[in-house]
Amino acid sequence: MKKLKAAVQYECMTSFKFIWIFYAIQYAVVLLITLIVGISMGTFENLGTDVLEMNTLIYIGILGALGFKEDFKMLIQNGFTRRQIFTATLSMFCFISGIMAFVDTVVGNVIHHFNSGYSSLYSGIYGYDNIFMNWLWLFLLYVTLCNLLYLLMLIINKVGKTASIYLGVAAGGMVLLIIAVFKYVLSAEAVASMISFFMKSMGFMPDGTINCMFPVLTLAALAAIFGTGSYAIIRHTELK
Amino acid sequence: MNAIQIKNVTKRYKNVAALHDVSFSFESGKIYGFLGRNGAGKSTLINIIANRIFADSGEILIDDLPAKENIKVHEKIFCMSEADLYDAGLKVKDLFKWINRFYDSFDLDKAFEIAGKFNLDTNKKFKALSKGYQSIFKLTVALSLMVPYVIFDEPVLGLDANHRELFYDLLLKDFQHNERTIIIATHLIEEVANIIEEVVLIDQGKVLLQDHVSTLMEMGYSIYGPAKEVDAYCADKNIIGYDELGNLKIAYVLGEKTPLPKNSNLSASAMNLQKLFVKLTEKGGI
Repeated sequence: MKKLKAAVQYECMTSFKFIWIFYAIQYAVVLLITLIVGISMGTFENLGTDVLEMNTLIYIGILGALGFKEDFKMLIQNGFTRRQIFTATLSMFCFISGIMAFVDTVVGNVIHHFNSGYSSLYSGIYGYDNIFMNWLWLFLLYVTLCNLLYLLMLIINKVGKTASIYLGVAAGGMVLLIIAVFKYVLSAEAVASMISFFMKSMGFMPDGTINCMFPVLTLAALAAIFGTGSYAIIRHTELK
Repeated sequence: MNAIQIKNVTKRYKNVAALHDVSFSFESGKIYGFLGRNGAGKSTLINIIANRIFADSGEILIDDLPAKENIKVHEKIFCMSEADLYDAGLKVKDLFKWINRFYDSFDLDKAFEIAGKFNLDTNKKFKALSKGYQSIFKLTVALSLMVPYVIFDEPVLGLDANHRELFYDLLLKDFQHNERTIIIATHLIEEVANIIEEVVLIDQGKVLLQDHVSTLMEMGYSIYGPAKEVDAYCADKNIIGYDELGNLKIAYVLGEKTPLPKNSNLSASAMNLQKLFVKLTEKGGI
């Protein structure tokens, strides 16, 4: 357990400092753009930005993609098992996602408080009613994205570059196939029921109300599926 | 049993057999030379022992514990690898601190002391170090870990002669104070010939021999003289190689030395470990 704790600490602490660099750059850029546009327009009214969480999603995506190679090498060199490496990486994803979701939730709500024109990602979909659900939803969204990209990187590492390209092409083909199936094969009734199911999973009930637990459960299920897939692959991953 | 036991290990890469049913043991408290040509299978076996890659079949036991995906062997073995597997963005001193957290048996003070002897700048990031100093960092870590089994894979890669001497000196001093199993995989056979007690020679994925250095030195000798006389003398012997120069011939023989014929023009001399290695791996077997 002590070893695992050390691995988790390594993963979290070596990623932690980059969060603040990311936020410093993000807010500096927003401030700079606001100043440039404001000065050139001669007014700061109606100036601003929305959905800053999109930047975090890009950062989190990079973190998920890079979560594999360097850390896997470092930890396998130091005698850790794949199970521990996976646990440590997942812990890091949760740690970083938790902090960034917290910052984004607080910043989104504070900016909205002073500037009602600003809309955060969560509030744009579900409103400003519940700050805790806002954090939880963002946290799970970030973890899901991390797990998805971690899984993709593990697959690419496992099958190699050429096979990955073929898989990418096949995935693109599948998307086109699914669109065609929805458009030409499935009945309008079947499509409508699928859309209804999808909307429910995102919390939009048929009676027009919003159930905030459903999207949370959906994201948790997706994170678990991607995490399980990652574990299944990393168990057989060899150092290259 | 206190040993690294390699049992029927086979590993294939597509159509190439990197290791073919390899079985032998590294016993406790000895310094081994793990020798073999490029592509012989040394690094593959080391990586399997260190749980970095998996064997297709067979198993590795460390003190009777399976080495595959087993955290119980974490404090038993450390492998200093030729490849750079460390977080290149971290400073040397930070890497030391992390390794100190990873291993109970890591001696942080000793690591800084050894780094000082090598003039390794611990404030530099790993990626900013030269190839030689990256090797120094890696062997500093290995020397500072008090685990029962330490494997050095090409430990002196990129090191100058002074640093190589210092490394061998530190290794022997450490071994005198703390007897454990040290396995050195290297191409620089002559440099380690005086350090190692036992040799494991691997070629084309198979173990060619495993024996004490002294026994090998006694077993191997060369016969020099006119080609006809050399051939006659060697007729019933295990010849592992020849060198020819005009009518003169040198035969490299493995086995008990028999007296030279009277009035012959032959002369015999001992064979060094490097020559023995070269001739054995040229021949591809005993």
